[in-house]
Amino acid sequence: MRLLTKNKLLTGVLAVLSVAGVGAWIYQLMGGLAVTGMSNANSWGLYIALFMFFVGLSAGGLIVASSASVFHIEKYKQVAMPAIILSTVCICCAGAFVLIDLGGIQRIWHLFASPNLASPLVWDICVITLYLVINVLYLRFMHRGAEHAVAVLSRFALPTAVLVHSVTAWIFGLQIAKEGWFSAIMAPIFVASAMDSGLALLLIVLVALNAAGVFETPKRLIASLAGLLATCIAIDGFLIFCEALTMGYPGAAGAETLAVMVSGPTAPFFWAEVVGGLAVPFLILVFAKNRERTGLVVGASVLVVAGVLCKRLWLLLTAFVIPNIVGAPGVLSGAWMMAGSYAPTAVEVLIVLGVPSLGALAFMALGSKLLAPAGAEERASAPAAAELDLEAQTA
Amino acid sequence: MTKLGLAISLDRCIGCQTCANACKMQNSVPMGMQWNRVVTEGCDIMDGAHGTYPDLSRTYLPIACQHCENPACLKVCPTGATYKDEMGRVEINYDNCIGCRMCMAACPYNARSFNWEDPVHDPDFNYGDKDVPVRVKGVAEKCTLCKERTDRGDEPMCVKCCPTKARTFGDLDDPKSAISQLIREKHAYVLLEDKGTKPQVHYFD
Repeated sequence: MRLLTKNKLLTGVLAVLSVAGVGAWIYQLMGGLAVTGMSNANSWGLYIALFMFFVGLSAGGLIVASSASVFHIEKYKQVAMPAIILSTVCICCAGAFVLIDLGGIQRIWHLFASPNLASPLVWDICVITLYLVINVLYLRFMHRGAEHAVAVLSRFALPTAVLVHSVTAWIFGLQIAKEGWFSAIMAPIFVASAMDSGLALLLIVLVALNAAGVFETPKRLIASLAGLLATCIAIDGFLIFCEALTMGYPGAAGAETLAVMVSGPTAPFFWAEVVGGLAVPFLILVFAKNRERTGLVVGASVLVVAGVLCKRLWLLLTAFVIPNIVGAPGVLSGAWMMAGSYAPTAVEVLIVLGVPSLGALAFMALGSKLLAPAGAEERASAPAAAELDLEAQTA
Repeated sequence: MTKLGLAISLDRCIGCQTCANACKMQNSVPMGMQWNRVVTEGCDIMDGAHGTYPDLSRTYLPIACQHCENPACLKVCPTGATYKDEMGRVEINYDNCIGCRMCMAACPYNARSFNWEDPVHDPDFNYGDKDVPVRVKGVAEKCTLCKERTDRGDEPMCVKCCPTKARTFGDLDDPKSAISQLIREKHAYVLLEDKGTKPQVHYFD
């Protein structure tokens, strides 16, 4: 619990936010989802956007750690432990957001009693559960120093990590009803933005752990990961461009949706991502000299994470702006109004702050236990972890 | 097989909303919700007009669940709460609905409403048919094609109450039924045909 007790102020703030979040959730359970800003016209909001966001954030860790084993990239093995802890915490946050978004969580057992195997939501729950199990096993094997078990598991971890983002994308990408979602490129885009936001968060956490003196990452490795981040940003940007061009070029229904995105209600999020989340960090990280400077790497990473959050928002909300049939019963809001709008309420904001706060506390607790420069006893039982520490210190 | 459906004459519809109110009464639809609604086409207010003065026109489009043959909502429902029954209607088993709203995202027609809070009735009781199930907070609902009435062999309430007889109810699988003949003779069409959901609600001019 070293990380928690050493940073009392941070721990305190996170604890208060967590408690407020739990309180807000209880309030929501009592009042129903009416306490949120969602409506029939805009039936998904911040919770689902944050669900996508956290599934993505979870990627970086597991993909870096497992590709270290699969592709024999020795240097990435050093950061496998913090990477997997991060990935585990983020996937739990993602799962929490799905549960929070349910209107009838008391009936959730039907999901297991009579699952509809054609539903992408069922696929997602299966894959996320598998992903969580793999993460926990990974932590256990690494903590025990079971090198061979880690190597075997990583062969399953990498495809599962790709799958978990693809399936999350298919929740949206398979819906023919929504012009803004129905696209085969949705899964590749999700994997790409999972890679860049996840990697960026990993870099931020590694630098923070460095500063806290808990876990040391060599500067060379930070620079190398930053280079990988630049590549992922470029791929993400390319895929978004492909999608936007295909939407706009025929000048048909897709162009209307594109207009909402580039000059309509969701435009601020779109441009914040394209400029602040893709262009600027790419231009910073594309130069090798900048990658050597930790401050710049962290700055660019923060921009990438914020950019991907903006992307989740425009991706989700754009699809709700233009209904296929104006004034249909399901877009009714108020007695005679024809359309709805969406703005999150205080309850939603509190919950959305509370979940990651709880996640951060969990990360600090797990980090203290698993990353600690082990005591003599632990050193004996976990030779690999000790070796890892030594390696980090000498490098 | 029976495949129940509706055929609606847009030529006869006068936008009086009687069907919408009849539906609300029959099914105890709570405040702030409608299962069936008559939309004034081409403008964003009720009973407005489209075009530029003096070339104005006003047309109405009654819309509710389309009871699709290939329902997008059914496929995505994680618990199987949404189902296609033996009469070809798309129905919801409210006890199994976990309120994920996947169906609302999937329906191209925005036919579904969600119980965001405990349903509010004004007057404060279930004014609908005694056989219509009560819905609770956190479940989705929509037109059932008046399941309770049609099970008894009656017409849906919207069909019965329409003052201009714009709505025809019947079995689409029976080529001799009035609805099948109307669809053939009037060259009826469906909404958003390109989405491939194959609605069982047909429209004609």
